[in-house]
Amino acid sequence: MTSTVDTAGEPVPTSSLLMAAAKHIGTKCRGENLAFLKCKKDDPNPEKCLDKGRQVTQCVLHLLRDLHQNCSKELDAYAGCMYYHTNEFELCRKEQKEFEKACTL
Amino acid sequence: MTEAMIRKKAGMASVKDMPVLQDGPPPGGFAPIRFARRIPNKGPSAMAIFLATFGVFSWGMYQVGKGNKIRRALKEEKYAARRAIIPMLQAEEDERFVNEWKKYLEEEARIMKDVPGWKVGENVYHSGRWMPPATGELRPDIW
Repeated sequence: MTSTVDTAGEPVPTSSLLMAAAKHIGTKCRGENLAFLKCKKDDPNPEKCLDKGRQVTQCVLHLLRDLHQNCSKELDAYAGCMYYHTNEFELCRKEQKEFEKACTL
Repeated sequence: MTEAMIRKKAGMASVKDMPVLQDGPPPGGFAPIRFARRIPNKGPSAMAIFLATFGVFSWGMYQVGKGNKIRRALKEEKYAARRAIIPMLQAEEDERFVNEWKKYLEEEARIMKDVPGWKVGENVYHSGRWMPPATGELRPDIW
């Protein structure tokens, strides 16, 4: 898998792409994540937290689209390395450093 | 010929007077042989050996501690990445589950519409909290 986008050009949120962008997701979508988790803690019913879940999904997908626009080559390389090594951070240090140099946190 | 003919002495009366033929030491005797123990008493003392062992062991444990710190940092990185991702995954699963649950409730209403007194929808536990469905009907591909 060498490309992270589907036929329409949208980034597909696979596990390797999500793990590659995890640091960015953790900082940029932190508010939405925390709100969703708090809603879940209060009531685990999935129907009650659908709106916050949609906010989380939208935040993450927009972030992935921005990353794909700004530094698509490094992101593709990093996500491809993650896919090859099954989400082992230690085996992809080179691609990680280049990705963080291209799209700073 | 016989031994007496070879080794005879002048004026010998019987064979018993023959000069002896023995294998003996060389003239002047052999060189002296040392057979006393001489184990040297030099080398490291007991305290030196103990300190060296203790030093090597503590250096090894220090290396183990350093390696553990590095491994823990790696694990923390992996856990932090998982913590960042899991709301997204849970939100996607919630969407999918809500759609499946609606279809399931409609199916249940269709099946039980002639049963008197059946409150379609949810007749789950009485504790008041939401519990995930316990049967395997919703994900037959998994079960």
